[in-house]
Amino acid sequence: MNLLRPLIGKEIQEDFRSARGAFFLVVAALVLSVFAVLLVSNTELSLLDNAQAVYMMAGIVIALAALVAVLRGSDGFAGERERETLEPLLLTPATGHRLAWAKLLGILFSWLTLFILAIPYLWAVGSTGQNLFAAILYLFLAGTLIVLSFGGAALALSARMKTFKGVLSLGLTVLLLLGSPVLLGPSLRQSAVGRVLDLVNPFAAALNTLDSVIIDSQGLSWQLLRLAVMVSYGLAVLWWLYAATRRLEP
Amino acid sequence: MKVLRLKGLTLIIVLASAWLIFGPMAALAGDHPVLRVSLQAPAGALKMGDTPNFLGAVTNLGPQPAQGLVVYLSLVSLAPGDEHPVDLEDWSAQKAVRIDRLNSSATDFRNWGMRLIASGKFGVALTVVDPREPRPIVSDLVPFEIQPKVTLVAGRVLPVAIGEPLLILILFAVLRFFHAGYKCRTNHNGERLDSNG
Repeated sequence: MNLLRPLIGKEIQEDFRSARGAFFLVVAALVLSVFAVLLVSNTELSLLDNAQAVYMMAGIVIALAALVAVLRGSDGFAGERERETLEPLLLTPATGHRLAWAKLLGILFSWLTLFILAIPYLWAVGSTGQNLFAAILYLFLAGTLIVLSFGGAALALSARMKTFKGVLSLGLTVLLLLGSPVLLGPSLRQSAVGRVLDLVNPFAAALNTLDSVIIDSQGLSWQLLRLAVMVSYGLAVLWWLYAATRRLEP
Repeated sequence: MKVLRLKGLTLIIVLASAWLIFGPMAALAGDHPVLRVSLQAPAGALKMGDTPNFLGAVTNLGPQPAQGLVVYLSLVSLAPGDEHPVDLEDWSAQKAVRIDRLNSSATDFRNWGMRLIASGKFGVALTVVDPREPRPIVSDLVPFEIQPKVTLVAGRVLPVAIGEPLLILILFAVLRFFHAGYKCRTNHNGERLDSNG
């Protein structure tokens, strides 16, 4: 643990000290601000039910979180390798697993920061509506599992692939593939194939959970299957990351 | 001759009366189910965010059971000059149901709920499609009006939307300022430099 602490500290410091971290936080806040202003300035959107507005805001937060997880995960090992800073790290007593664990915690910390940033926005659009507390709780749960899955997968790829660009391209392609059926709208997902794809897609599972909790006011028992799907992806990715970082090459 | 005319006229009147009285009954007695559909609006004023139920009823007036009926709801905006069909998906409404079997003289009552997400004048109708009949049967259009309710308050959203990015920028500027000051006061090993050193 003593060895892990400076590694985690280094990852977390990047969020607050580096220009990249500051840029990410400001951009995330600006994206949420632009959407919030759009909600109140557009006549039709301003008449949306509070729950609908909270759901849309939560969906944007989940999408941002997945994107940031892929970006940071891609940079995890491949970026260090390109900057030639991975070799000195491997010369320390830190093992590949410890490095992966520290980097994954760094990504989760980024998510926690984004989540805290999002709370005032959720309150602003949804404090007079229904299910705001449940929305925040399930956003945290679903977001953590999504970030674990996408960030962990990007880190595992990053440990195996040589270039940051390669990992990033692959990561973003997978994210787009998983996100595209969701963008098609619910009506196109009503077929049997659509339902199966919806069930096995962790991104869709997260959004459907939020939809079910915030808009339809459904309880935990309705969410168990979707949460189980996301937890399964999280566990599978953790195992993959463990296997990928057993032997790290500089 | 007059008697014959009178008899003929009487016969025509009797036959016409018989057709008028027994014609529809004969039609009812055919092997086709005869359906009636109606829709009833909820009582009281409606406003945005409400989730009212419209009570639909499908009755089989025929002697034979009806099978495989498809019943669906249609919603239209009746705003003058902007009449258009409304996608029920956005209104979280149940769009269609299938009734496997509706016995003779039986009525299928069903609540058609929806979340009202926009204000204005709307009309809703229920349609029944019997696969054995060439024409669907449509209920009367039920008009209703939804009162607006402003749910997103600019006075609450704008301070957060403008304030939060500004606050983050200020926080980072302050952090960098103090970090730069700390760097100036220490050497590369983190040891403090005093004015004599």
